[in-house]
Amino acid sequence: MPSLKPLRVSEETQTGAQTATLTERPWNVVVWDDPVTPMSVVVVILRKIFGFPNNKATQLMLTVHHEGRAIVWSGSLERAQGYCVKLQVAGLLATIEQDA
Amino acid sequence: MASRIFLRRRDGRIEVRLNEAGREVAREAFGHVLAAEGDPDHEWHASLNAPINPGSDVDDPLATFKRQHEMTSNVELAVATLNEEFLNDAEAWAWLCTLQVALRAFITAKGLLSADRLEESDEATQHYIKTLQTLLFAIADVM
Repeated sequence: MPSLKPLRVSEETQTGAQTATLTERPWNVVVWDDPVTPMSVVVVILRKIFGFPNNKATQLMLTVHHEGRAIVWSGSLERAQGYCVKLQVAGLLATIEQDA
Repeated sequence: MASRIFLRRRDGRIEVRLNEAGREVAREAFGHVLAAEGDPDHEWHASLNAPINPGSDVDDPLATFKRQHEMTSNVELAVATLNEEFLNDAEAWAWLCTLQVALRAFITAKGLLSADRLEESDEATQHYIKTLQTLLFAIADVM
């Protein structure tokens, strides 16, 4: 005869895991300003790496230029590291940080 | 109309209209990136190994390995195509990445990380930066 108890335990475990996943703070990929990188180069790199449309890439580039930095992507640690590496390989000053 | 350094042709290829002096600038920049990758004492080395997560004492070794691998692939492709008359998109991307890495590494090594410091730098330094920027503007324009 099947028992409901193991199922309830399993459900609780699953719910707990889901809650942990949902409440875990995301990781941000941050691009930093520098005094020499041409604006059009930043736009090309953001379009190429993230597949952003031109207007979104331009808006992010302007945020970097005016505010000194911009969060260009947020999500899991593994993917944030991957994107940060691609940005660094393309020569931009980029880091990751966990969302406050 | 000013002559363009890179030109996107109708067949999709990118024509490189750099003269020998221009190719020499690119050759020197690519050479420095290649040398800095393998030489911890090279003044550009630190810039090529910037922290990924400054909040952590040590970066993920897999991420740093991936960065080194991708950077090496780009610079080797850029060097291999230095004398080509036409580039495909992957080759042009390798040129753009490697020129941009060179520009950032150069200013980092010289400590020119603000507009004020940049303005105070000598004429030769400013000329080199402007030359790399000109190449970057031109290649970004066709991508």
